[in-house]
Amino acid sequence: MLGSGNEEMSTLPGLNQIQLEGFCRFIDRGLTEGLFKFPKIEDTDQEIEFQLFAETYQLLEPLINEKDAVYESLTYSAELYVSTGLIWKSSRDIKKQTIFVGNIPLMNSLGTSIVNGIYRIVINQILQSPGIYYRSELDPNGISVYTGTIISDWGGRLELEIDKKARIWARVSRKQKISILILLSAMGSNLSEILENVCYPEIFVSFLNDKDKKKIGSKENAILEFYRQFACVGGDPVFSESLWKELQKKFFQQRCELGRIGRRNMNQKLNLDIPQNNTFLLPRDILTAASHLIGMKFGMALLDDINHLKNKRIRSVADLLQDQFGLALVRLENMVRGTICGAIRHKLIPTPQNLVTSTPLTTTYESFFGLHPLSQVLDQTNPLTEIVHGRKLSYLGPGGLTGRTASFRIRDIHPSHYGRICPIDTSEGINVGLIGSLAIHARIGIWGAIESPFFEISERSKRIRMLYLSPSIDEYYMVATGNSLALTRDIQEEQIVPARYRQEFLTIAWEQVHLRSIYPFQYFSIGASLIPFIEHNDANRALMSSNMQRQAVPLSQSEKCIVGTGLECQVALDSGVSAIADHEGNIVYTDTDRIFLFVNGDTLSIPLTIYQRSNKNTCMHQKPQVHRGKFIKKGQILADGAATVGGELALGKNVLVAYMPWEGYNSEDAVLISERLVYEDIFTSFHIRKYEIQTHMTSYGSERITNKIPHLEANLLRNLDKNGIVILGSWVETGDVLVGKLTPQMAKESSYSPEDRLLRAILGIQVSTSKETCLKLPIGGRGRVIDVRWIQKKGGSSYNPETIRISILQKREIKVGDKVAGRHGNKGIVSKILSRQDMPYLQDGEPVDMVFNPLGVPSRMNVGQIFECSLGLSGGMLDKHYRITPFDERYEQEASRKLVFSELYEASKKTSNPWIFEPEYPGKSKIFDGRTGNSFKQPAIMGKTYILKLIHQVDDKIHGRSSGHYALVTQQPLRGRAKQGGQRVGEMEVWALEGFGVAHILQEMLTYKSDHIKTRQEVLGTTIIGGTIPKPTDAPESFRLLVRELRSLAMELNHFLVSEKNFRIHRKEA
Amino acid sequence: MVQEKLRVSTRTLQWKCVESRIDSKRLYYGRFILSPLMKGQADTIGIAIRRILLGEIEGTCITCVKSEKIPHEYSTIIGIEESVHEIFMNLKEIVLKSNMYGIQDASISFKGPGYITAQDIILPPSVEIVDNRQHIANVTEPVHLCIELKIERNRGYRIKTLKNFQDGSYDIDARFMPVRNVNYSIHSYVNGNEKQEILFLEIWTNGSLTPKEALYEASQNLIELFIPFLHAEEDNFHLEKNQHKVTLPLFTFHDILVKDKLRKNQKEIALKSIFIDQLELPPRIYNCLKRSNIHTLLELLSNSQEDLLKFEHFHVEDGKSILDILKIQKYFA
Repeated sequence: MLGSGNEEMSTLPGLNQIQLEGFCRFIDRGLTEGLFKFPKIEDTDQEIEFQLFAETYQLLEPLINEKDAVYESLTYSAELYVSTGLIWKSSRDIKKQTIFVGNIPLMNSLGTSIVNGIYRIVINQILQSPGIYYRSELDPNGISVYTGTIISDWGGRLELEIDKKARIWARVSRKQKISILILLSAMGSNLSEILENVCYPEIFVSFLNDKDKKKIGSKENAILEFYRQFACVGGDPVFSESLWKELQKKFFQQRCELGRIGRRNMNQKLNLDIPQNNTFLLPRDILTAASHLIGMKFGMALLDDINHLKNKRIRSVADLLQDQFGLALVRLENMVRGTICGAIRHKLIPTPQNLVTSTPLTTTYESFFGLHPLSQVLDQTNPLTEIVHGRKLSYLGPGGLTGRTASFRIRDIHPSHYGRICPIDTSEGINVGLIGSLAIHARIGIWGAIESPFFEISERSKRIRMLYLSPSIDEYYMVATGNSLALTRDIQEEQIVPARYRQEFLTIAWEQVHLRSIYPFQYFSIGASLIPFIEHNDANRALMSSNMQRQAVPLSQSEKCIVGTGLECQVALDSGVSAIADHEGNIVYTDTDRIFLFVNGDTLSIPLTIYQRSNKNTCMHQKPQVHRGKFIKKGQILADGAATVGGELALGKNVLVAYMPWEGYNSEDAVLISERLVYEDIFTSFHIRKYEIQTHMTSYGSERITNKIPHLEANLLRNLDKNGIVILGSWVETGDVLVGKLTPQMAKESSYSPEDRLLRAILGIQVSTSKETCLKLPIGGRGRVIDVRWIQKKGGSSYNPETIRISILQKREIKVGDKVAGRHGNKGIVSKILSRQDMPYLQDGEPVDMVFNPLGVPSRMNVGQIFECSLGLSGGMLDKHYRITPFDERYEQEASRKLVFSELYEASKKTSNPWIFEPEYPGKSKIFDGRTGNSFKQPAIMGKTYILKLIHQVDDKIHGRSSGHYALVTQQPLRGRAKQGGQRVGEMEVWALEGFGVAHILQEMLTYKSDHIKTRQEVLGTTIIGGTIPKPTDAPESFRLLVRELRSLAMELNHFLVSEKNFRIHRKEA
Repeated sequence: MVQEKLRVSTRTLQWKCVESRIDSKRLYYGRFILSPLMKGQADTIGIAIRRILLGEIEGTCITCVKSEKIPHEYSTIIGIEESVHEIFMNLKEIVLKSNMYGIQDASISFKGPGYITAQDIILPPSVEIVDNRQHIANVTEPVHLCIELKIERNRGYRIKTLKNFQDGSYDIDARFMPVRNVNYSIHSYVNGNEKQEILFLEIWTNGSLTPKEALYEASQNLIELFIPFLHAEEDNFHLEKNQHKVTLPLFTFHDILVKDKLRKNQKEIALKSIFIDQLELPPRIYNCLKRSNIHTLLELLSNSQEDLLKFEHFHVEDGKSILDILKIQKYFA
């Protein structure tokens, strides 16, 4: 990496290291810390004492392995055992027992947990670091007011404020502020102490008036006054112990607990030396903070930048799990306390075993993983998605911000993000900027700060050291940003380099540089660093690309990209989708679903994943890549997983594209494709869906699973076996019954509609004693049944509920309406599939596979796609794969372009195809229309680009409704495809109908397709009986709205009756 | 001018295979020239032949697989390295050469261990395998694998998902396209004082037929497409007769209509464009007609009353009511 010598090589850190480290921290330290906090519990008479021996805790290895946990829908967890003791104080008797405290879900090697058979991941949260922050604000009169905000470990705030008269206030709630002296007195210091410890006592004295003097006279008075202001209660509360306790709980614990990080920050900021274990706010802190504030008023200190990363901390899995652990132990403590007291009262002798149950810990973790906003279902669309999900950093969640209220400032990129949080990879939409992604080289330090690596440049030693620096430190160094220096290290003395210093970009001499960045991709997240030529793309499009790569569907036959960045390998490796040899050995036997490896005398069986469903319904499948008799080294790839080829990430396919308009079929981001992509299975993907049904106990008996369903036609039941469950391997279509189920029901004549009853009487159908509640295949669900599972759970006394789970695999070719995208944010929808002879073709007769619109490039400013396209062409011709690091322009002007052109030239020379590189229009070529054989007017850019098929597919979206259900309250059609909903005819749509004068459609939409309940029912009646549909007589609410709208346009629409006799007008309300 | 024309027509068009190459068993290449052509002719022939070669040359493919051992496409067979789906994909890729019609049967009967390749397919006499070494599966255990195949000759491609699971057979997406790529280029030159052109034609095939054969088949296809024009007059006559047959007055109340022969054609077009939806028929009759695939008034009138009565739920009164409605709406002026 760095020229001569083997000076500390730097490799990429494991991409899921951030999760694993967090979890290890929890297991190593968090557990013991939590257990040590568990107090000794005494009963009310103080006869018995219960205690945990924290140091003796044990975690048992789980009985099942990960794959079984997924298959059986269980939680992959370890049992926690702690030895406990019960001490009888009178007799000094100790009863010791090792007891089961509960289950702790474990993390697997990929950084995910398996809870109830579902892969889940806990996302790291970014929070404001506890400590004090100084700001200045302008008050309505334009005078700046200085405030210092103390943020507690829990996110509570306490504000100190100095106003124009140099009075210092503490703001305890949003409106109320109290004098700082009252706060300090309430915290237990008296006036003389205050004045002694403060830098500017005269200021404190100056705003001390007689009234205040009385209030701070005694601690009780101060507390009383403080309570009155804090709780906003009027009148005169009397000082009592309970009042003090409430204040303790609500104020001093929530807003004044700094935690260890907070204490450290406080000490650093205010130059204090309070010991680390003192995690609460002390009067001394406030006094020093107040002096600081005064100093600020005199212009002697700097304001804080609240968005700087040094003022943030990461709350990782470790912290979240530890918080939950603490919570569970508190619950356990309360429970133990309750049981001890109960046992004593009933004169029973308790044992530790019956004092402690596993419920608090187990349920706490279960609800944490199930309900906590930061614990999310692992997005498993493709391997990249899995990796990226674990590296997300979120401002949201408890104690954080919300998408709707977060300011623009906080969403913005900050100079301190360099090398820590990716400046481009964030979600689009409401959470933009609030969910970030960790840069590839960054790691999380012990204080919850994100650290970025740098190379230290020192004169003294030739050795180059790598340092991980937190955001508070690297600002004070000159950091050379480019590493072009690596090439010309010998003449570095004369060089002037661009550098970063204190959020500024400077150009300085090489000698002045302290540090330099290690890798051009250091600043980016994984998603962004998989984009080749990213430096030529607009950041917005790069953002879209990094998001869209995560939506790529694994294809049935993956293909490596011709043009890549070299990071594909690491991503595939760390995602864990491919099977990798843990030991070296010989392959004894390979099969589709397992590989046997002979290692040091014993045979290891390595199971492979075969057509498994992922959380996003994509297909996970491993294909063995090794053959019998081969010797395997440790770390060698045994089987490629979904979307990986040869251990490299392969999300899409290299297809031949041209940038040209084609009959308007690619206007506005539509894409024209060749049918080759269909019949050669280029963009064919597998999707596995899971359908489940359960049997329940009803008041008339239990539900039955059977294949004899009299209510349904035999055709729908054709796939059922004799038990009433679909046969494995059968092909099912929409509406087919997967599981036949009957629910017992009271046989009642009156439950049928009159016409139904008549029919039954005529045809002599017996009144059924059951209702069919079969599991039917919903719309769009056709496919092959690949798995049928019958799970019997041991339920209550006599009845065992059953669950039947059916997996259906669907093979989807690309079709019109599917979304495809490149890696540069160039996305589009397939608009037409042309036969290969109709597609435009190149000069060697090869038809193009996709036609993009050239107008999609200039306004989007993602020129990277053009470079990739041309380089891909030469790569395809020369059978070469390119791995390109970004920002090559710093070595030379227009380096990317030169590279692409030289490669094209070479390809054209070697394959003797002069049209590949034509000097008049390099990269472009004449293209011919497949229908006429004429060449198009202008030469167009053509080449090979890596194209992904995204998970947004028509099959999941296409939907229509003629009639269906209506919402109960509004009587309007339901929303959404899943509920057979309708398309909303909103205001603007109604205007359009009005504008075109389509009265009948408008009438239909506003009456019987909408909230006119009576007509709707009449329509139903007439369609059954026959006859013409009656015209509605009165107007529904939606029509009244229309009338009101017309009135607001000064048009009166009314209903008049003119009497024939006297021409008197009777007005009717419309 | 007349003389010039004559001169051109006497010079015969000639084609020649300039280059022919077998890159691999499944990649044949051939380059042909056709000359001399008059200005513009090369383009006409070139594009037509390219489109035919790419789109309409017939190929032979395995279209259906049947085996008792296979539970479904996405399962695995013990002792075989590939999954069933991968075997199917490999079978799809196999290139066959044949001159058969319809569907024929083939089979694989293999006893492991060993590699199953294309030469293990037992084929009917009219079908040949192009590349014997095409891989199908790797059997690692002594398993007996028995697969029945169906072979079909067709053009284009077909993606089917049929439901005939019960007999254990699976359709494979078929791709009957023996021609891989075609290119043509035109070179014009001046011969004497007129411009002439040479057509270069490059053809790549998958080995199931040589480029020469492909060219021959394409030309034949193309000629077949033009044959109707050679009998232009007869065909027109035929068409007229057809039309006459359609309008034979069978319906009883059609008589009213036939009176004026001059107005007939006009009327017919009108009748064709009137859909029965516009007649405001009672819903029951309307549905009944719709179900019997009667959509326009013309279709309605070309049925006799007896025919109508044969339809399900069509009563005698209905015929009358239709007549009434038609009269009211003045379709019979």
